[in-house]
Amino acid sequence: MLVAWFGRVGSAEDPAPRDASRFLTPGHPSLPSTAVQDPPPEWHEFYFTRAAYSSGGFGRRRASWATDYPKADRQFLTVLRRLTNLDAFESENAVLLTNPRLRDYPFLYALEVGYMALSPAEIQGLREYLMAGGFLVIDDFWGTREWLQFEYQMSLVFPERTIVDLDMEHPVFNTFYEIEEILQVPAYGRFQWGTTSEQDGYVPYVKGIFDDEGRLMVLINWNTDMGDAWEWAEQPNYPLQFSTFAYQMGVNMIVYAMSH
Amino acid sequence: MSEIFEFLFKYRPILFQEGEVSLLSPWPLPVVIGVAAILGVPALLTYLRARGRSSAMDRGILLALRATTLSIVFLIVMQPGLVLTSVVPQRNFLAVLVDDSRSMTIDDADGTSRAEKAAALADPQSPVMQELAERFTLRYFRFSSSTNRVESPAEMTFNGSATHLGAALSYAHDELQGVPVSGLVVISDGGDNADEPIGDALLPLQAVSLPVFTVGLGDESPGRDVQISRVDVPRTALVGSSLVVNVLVNATGYSGQTVPLVVEDFGRIVTTENITLPADGQPLVAPVSFTLETGGVRELTFRIAGLDNERVVENNVRESLIHVRDRKEKILYFEGEPRWEVKFMRLATRADDNVQLVVLQRTAENKFLRLNVDDGLELLSGFPTTREELFQYRALMLGSIEASFFTHDQLDMIADFVSSRGGTLMMIGGRRALAEGGYKGTPLEDVLPVVLEEPDASSSPTDRLVFLRATPTPAGINHAATRVAGSSEASAARWDSLPPVSTTNGIFDLKPGATALLTGEVVDGPGDDRDRVILASQRYGKGRSVVLAVQDTWVWQMDSSIAAEDMTHETFWRQLLRWLVAETPDAVEASASPESVEAGDPVTVTAQVLDAGFVEVNGASVTARVTSPDGGVVEVPMEWSVENDGEYSAMFTPAQDGIFEVAVEARRDSVVLGATESSVRVAPSGAEYRDPQQRRPLLERVAEDTGGRYYTADGVDELPEDLRFTGGGVTVTEERDLWDMPFLFLLLGGLMMAEWGYRRRRGLV
Repeated sequence: MLVAWFGRVGSAEDPAPRDASRFLTPGHPSLPSTAVQDPPPEWHEFYFTRAAYSSGGFGRRRASWATDYPKADRQFLTVLRRLTNLDAFESENAVLLTNPRLRDYPFLYALEVGYMALSPAEIQGLREYLMAGGFLVIDDFWGTREWLQFEYQMSLVFPERTIVDLDMEHPVFNTFYEIEEILQVPAYGRFQWGTTSEQDGYVPYVKGIFDDEGRLMVLINWNTDMGDAWEWAEQPNYPLQFSTFAYQMGVNMIVYAMSH
Repeated sequence: MSEIFEFLFKYRPILFQEGEVSLLSPWPLPVVIGVAAILGVPALLTYLRARGRSSAMDRGILLALRATTLSIVFLIVMQPGLVLTSVVPQRNFLAVLVDDSRSMTIDDADGTSRAEKAAALADPQSPVMQELAERFTLRYFRFSSSTNRVESPAEMTFNGSATHLGAALSYAHDELQGVPVSGLVVISDGGDNADEPIGDALLPLQAVSLPVFTVGLGDESPGRDVQISRVDVPRTALVGSSLVVNVLVNATGYSGQTVPLVVEDFGRIVTTENITLPADGQPLVAPVSFTLETGGVRELTFRIAGLDNERVVENNVRESLIHVRDRKEKILYFEGEPRWEVKFMRLATRADDNVQLVVLQRTAENKFLRLNVDDGLELLSGFPTTREELFQYRALMLGSIEASFFTHDQLDMIADFVSSRGGTLMMIGGRRALAEGGYKGTPLEDVLPVVLEEPDASSSPTDRLVFLRATPTPAGINHAATRVAGSSEASAARWDSLPPVSTTNGIFDLKPGATALLTGEVVDGPGDDRDRVILASQRYGKGRSVVLAVQDTWVWQMDSSIAAEDMTHETFWRQLLRWLVAETPDAVEASASPESVEAGDPVTVTAQVLDAGFVEVNGASVTARVTSPDGGVVEVPMEWSVENDGEYSAMFTPAQDGIFEVAVEARRDSVVLGATESSVRVAPSGAEYRDPQQRRPLLERVAEDTGGRYYTADGVDELPEDLRFTGGGVTVTEERDLWDMPFLFLLLGGLMMAEWGYRRRRGLV
């Protein structure tokens, strides 16, 4: 049903998009090829690495991985470097899921995954990355429809694993900052219209996928858009409580990923 | 040679060594010289005046020959003699000590055992003993692990479990105190296996000039034999630890033969390693790797099956006890910034139930993340500020944390953690570690096993970044920390295939006494391309220091060339962390000495009792609870040995074979300071069969150091006469003529013939 509804999304029997070339490829006009293909110019302990994945849909959805890119990444890194003593590369670092160099960056950020449509090579690359010890943070996807698409994609990566809710006792909420409540962080544009939600995503969730020994491999922020808060934090009309939460949660996720 | 000497000089060399050559003529020497001058000077003048057909050279040669001849005649007239001190017959005692240990039952190549030879030699009816008995009052002793006076050598059993030669000499010396003693005669194969050096026992004998005459029995070559000479089994290990035990094998006559070396844990085979036996005289160190999965006291047996025509098979086996502890060892990892090493080190060791990796991580200025702590109070104030707080950990790892973070007291305390507490300090590479972290010139510089070189102040960490391919050194190939595969070959191949790791710390040189386990070849990076030290360690005081001078071993897990299911990174860190804590002592430590005895032999249990700050405690109540193999329990109070602070000891004597477990608990004012355990293996000892050949150098040394002499079984006939002149006790002076020794007359004849022959040749007859 879902597959039929989306049309371009791979099925369980044939997880590959029918025509991979129509989706994201190196050299796609929306991809800054140097960022994707060249390693960063200098060595640092940490790179805020963005997953460049194939996606379906039309218009900007065809490169949904690049939403808020690179401004959100750079602004977040600026604040991250100021708040912590982490030796972080100051610029964005987008890497294809099929690039072997992905394994050099144990932290990975992906957003707008409601339009994610992974190729078999990407599925394999992401699975091996996570099983080896990589950590994936998901952000900025909304409502039931995008959830189902993301859930389906993750079922291709990990057919045997389920997505579970994280309670507020989980260390990711207190590794650096004490976070007592999950806020719904609105997209900049949506808040101007007087709402924090999109589609039918009214309640924000933090969920996860664990390995057999209980290691959190994938941290899923659903019905929230921290990337927009990082990107538009400097706007006077963007509420401080949301950007503060987004930065705090971002720092927590990274410190957690580097210690757990 | 000795016979020729005796023919020429009338007596054996030892008499010349012991006696003094003197002129025995009753005429005073000035008178004799005067008479010689009266007779000799005219003769000389006559010679000089005679001319005839002779040349000056002829006269000179003939004069020299004649003068020498006359000198010898003169010497003979003066009656040279040998003045000796000889023992008075039947006024002196002589101790005869016969080795009664099991090694005497070993058959020699001639088909008879040393015991048979000893019994024949010590038999009162033997010619040697009869001759000795004519001059001395004989006292017989038998010795092995203990020494006893016996009435007759017939009481020998040759079943002693050990040979304590030094103790036997001291015992016999003490027994004969107060009576004149001419010497001690030792009949033995020299297989001394006492812990004490033999020299200590010889000093009292040297002080009273009491000679020891040793009679060596047994072949001096081991024949065809394989022996497990030593196994380096640690005293304790954590359950599940991968052990690499070095087994020292000696073999004679089986060079190049491949044999299985079997390791058993209470009879269950845990591993079998095929080894190729070395050439004669070349010891082989065979590393054997295995894992012990069961806790408690384990008896390990290392065994090589008996080979064809092997002389002694009892020395093919070696047993050892090991305490396999099933407990959690706490390691503190202090990291100065968020780093991937923290995550991946924790991932690598998360399945290890026996290592508790406590992490204190500085995530921002004065902000710390605590992981894996026991409770909310642990490390609440950051890095420990008291000895009690720090010394609860068994190892300390410092990551990228600058030296200036610590107070001077804290740096001193960390140095004490290694030197006094016996803990392990490991410093991990990073931009704020080692010299780059300002540790040069601090108390920790002395502790570290590597030489810190001041980095170029104008360069950044990125400028100094190099990528290294790690290679195990010869010491690292079979080291418990760096053997990452089942065999040394597989381990070396695995290291070769691992991706490079990076460092910004320039570590090139080791300190004297340090050992490198991993070195790194520079595969990418600017500047100095000399090989770097990656992993090195050294002893420091009671503890150990380690440097791992790279910053991203996590690539051995995450690199795209590594399969997700690959366990190399996990194995490396699991083994490394276990190695860090392997030798760290507890506050209360106990040991039994000896660790292996025979039933009836006493065992001393010694305990070292320290408080939480690892300061010796003298007023403690310490008890050893000894559990015998049949389940019987005896509590033995341990007394403070006044010589050493914090040291307590007690003795017990196991009466049955098996493993005796000793649990030691120390209390002070009803507060338990600590508890520990030790064990003793009680079984027939195989020590007597190790190095089965006669140890002639030891017997020779004992004789030489005391003024005695060494004899083979064939040459023992000379013993009675030697004893007569070299022994102590009641003695008299004895003169023996030397004027009639054949050498003088042969020399005289030779000189006269030479003179006559010269005259014939020169036509001067």
